[in-house]
Amino acid sequence: MSFYKFDEDDLFTNTIEAYPQYRFYTQSGSIYVNDMPHLTGENTDNNIGVPKGFISLYEYNIDRPAGNLIYPFIVKDGHRDTLKTVSKQAYNATLLFGETSTGSYSLSASISRDYYSTTTRTRINALRNTLNHYNYLSPHYQYSSSFGDKSSQTVNLISIPSILYGSKIKKGTISLKYYVTGTLVGELQDKNYNGELVQVGPEGSTGSGSVAGVCLYREGFIVLTGSWDLNTENIQTDAFGPSKWIHFNYGANDGNPPALTTLSASFAIDYQGTTHTQTMTMFATAPYGELNHSNNPTYLDSTETQGISTGSLQYMEQPRKIKNIVESQFLDVEPDFVKTTYISKVAIYDEDKNLIGIAKVATPVRKTEEKQYTFKLKLDI
Amino acid sequence: MAESFYKSLDIGKDVANTRTLLHEAIPLTGTIVSGTYADANIKNYAHGMFQSVYDYPYLSSSANHIFDITTGVSAESSLYASVTTAGQKSKKLNIYNQMAQVLVGYDHTGSIQRFDEDGDILAGGTKIDDVIFLNFSRLLTKDEIKKGTFQLTLGANATYATPMSKTFHITDASGSDGYLVNSPVGEYGILFASQGTGTPLHASGVNAACGLLFYQAGVCALTASIFNDNAAGGLLTTKCEMNSATEDIEAVLTGSNIDALGDAFRHRINNLQFNNTVELNSSVYFCRINHNEYNYSTNPTYLSGSKIRVKTQSSDLPVSYITTVGLYNDNNELLATAKLSEPLKKSSDTEFTIRVRLDY
Repeated sequence: MSFYKFDEDDLFTNTIEAYPQYRFYTQSGSIYVNDMPHLTGENTDNNIGVPKGFISLYEYNIDRPAGNLIYPFIVKDGHRDTLKTVSKQAYNATLLFGETSTGSYSLSASISRDYYSTTTRTRINALRNTLNHYNYLSPHYQYSSSFGDKSSQTVNLISIPSILYGSKIKKGTISLKYYVTGTLVGELQDKNYNGELVQVGPEGSTGSGSVAGVCLYREGFIVLTGSWDLNTENIQTDAFGPSKWIHFNYGANDGNPPALTTLSASFAIDYQGTTHTQTMTMFATAPYGELNHSNNPTYLDSTETQGISTGSLQYMEQPRKIKNIVESQFLDVEPDFVKTTYISKVAIYDEDKNLIGIAKVATPVRKTEEKQYTFKLKLDI
Repeated sequence: MAESFYKSLDIGKDVANTRTLLHEAIPLTGTIVSGTYADANIKNYAHGMFQSVYDYPYLSSSANHIFDITTGVSAESSLYASVTTAGQKSKKLNIYNQMAQVLVGYDHTGSIQRFDEDGDILAGGTKIDDVIFLNFSRLLTKDEIKKGTFQLTLGANATYATPMSKTFHITDASGSDGYLVNSPVGEYGILFASQGTGTPLHASGVNAACGLLFYQAGVCALTASIFNDNAAGGLLTTKCEMNSATEDIEAVLTGSNIDALGDAFRHRINNLQFNNTVELNSSVYFCRINHNEYNYSTNPTYLSGSKIRVKTQSSDLPVSYITTVGLYNDNNELLATAKLSEPLKKSSDTEFTIRVRLDY
């Protein structure tokens, strides 16, 4: 085994920015994440062990019956660390040293909706500064302006947890579709890349070209205020009447049970998130004329036994023949010997020669003295 | 953002490194590994060298890999000569050697050491030559299996159709304080058998060593004789029928392939549970604020009409609200920020120590 030191050109880090696509489809109070159907397991109503329409954090407890779930626990000791679900008071007053505090892996997340038609609107009020901050993008963000006063107008707030978009929602990728009896009655897009949700379809529809709300890209909120009629058919949502953007996503974790006439409405939210993954790339070079010997026992010709000469002053092992693995088309002619090794893995060591990582190649790479290879190792950090 | 005011941390007094152990309880009922999904969660491969067990039908993207089952027979085993070609003789030998190389290592002559029943290799003693291996997924074992928490309950009724009428437990009872360290892959414990229901164990089988559990590697090596009767060197009073053809464990080991043995073993898993361990390393930075520090802010909102906003009279003490602690390197480059859940009122008559913890 040979050690080589990475030089500055062999080692670099960079960031991969990815845009994962997400889709939420809501119908009759049921949410479908990324078009995944709700699968009933043998033991649970939803096989991933969380409520339907939610994603599971680790997807550990797949179709497990109650009482047979994987759960975390921590023993109270001098480090005084515990799980977040344990209150400070319970930890200090109730839990004894050596006792365990347990958590749960039924951690889930999904979109939710808040409909505000009265003056009590805590979540909207909490977003006041944030909305005003993005005024430089569009005046529609402003909490109170000629476009409306969010402290009094009817507001439909859709909240998206950050696990479902990463660091921010990608600008220009949002699409909100409102269907009634399967027919598209309205579509919003942030086509101006400034957070304004503009009605872009169907072509010629009422309100087409109007701004029905704004999106907080980094914070994961969609604030809808559009209150024009999208069609004439009356259905039961927040109120019995025509479809409007303020009723968009009715039944999506908002506590509203779907009424019979709601069944005809369905909603789709599409967007791309943004994730950043730091990666380290390492170039490990197997140079010409090097790494052409192996200490593997099979490297030597097994037909020869190890010769040993001993005397009163010596113990000497005789050299052994390396197995010639060069292929020949002829049975009676042994081809010229070529030192050949097969590289199967590249190991990474720290400065103290502690093994800290191993990269394996899919199939061993044939290495001869006249060949040189550079292995590209990539590590997410 | 307010202009930063740098204060150096005293590495000896202000920085502490801690390691917290977080555990998870992993229960696996026998019905998961055999029964509930009619083996749709069991993956057999063309190479036939091991069988993979999932917690859900493996064609589903939701399925998690739990463990692999395989078996190995040593060339020193009394059964080895009887293993047929159909019984994958060479593969069972290769698996034994492969696992022994990794888990037990080599002796001074370069020969592969065999699994030792009590772990005392130098003393010789009984070797485990016919082994059933359970290789647990890293997803479940994490950094290591928590010592002293492993429990496998096996059905030991002689009749194949009703295996769970009698059960016995296999535990690493001495694991928490009696583990061994002479393995290339870290620490391991001895597995012992104890009675479950119906007292299937022979008197000599109670508390008998019956395998090894490698904690960091997440591998359980069980002697196949756990299903044999005392007369044949096993633990039980009556040997078990391992398949519908009423073959005993020796017949399955010699005449059936590895997948068939995996099926037979799963058929007798009643319950399996262990706890795992994750090491959480933390650095705690004690950021100390003296009474005369951080009482002002250069935040634009700190002033209103050229007056400090949070003062009503000129005689009032200067006050600031701390929201964030920034950690900088030697070149004053920001490395990390710690946010308080709510702003902390700071005036010249108060002092604080803010404890910033960084987990990695």
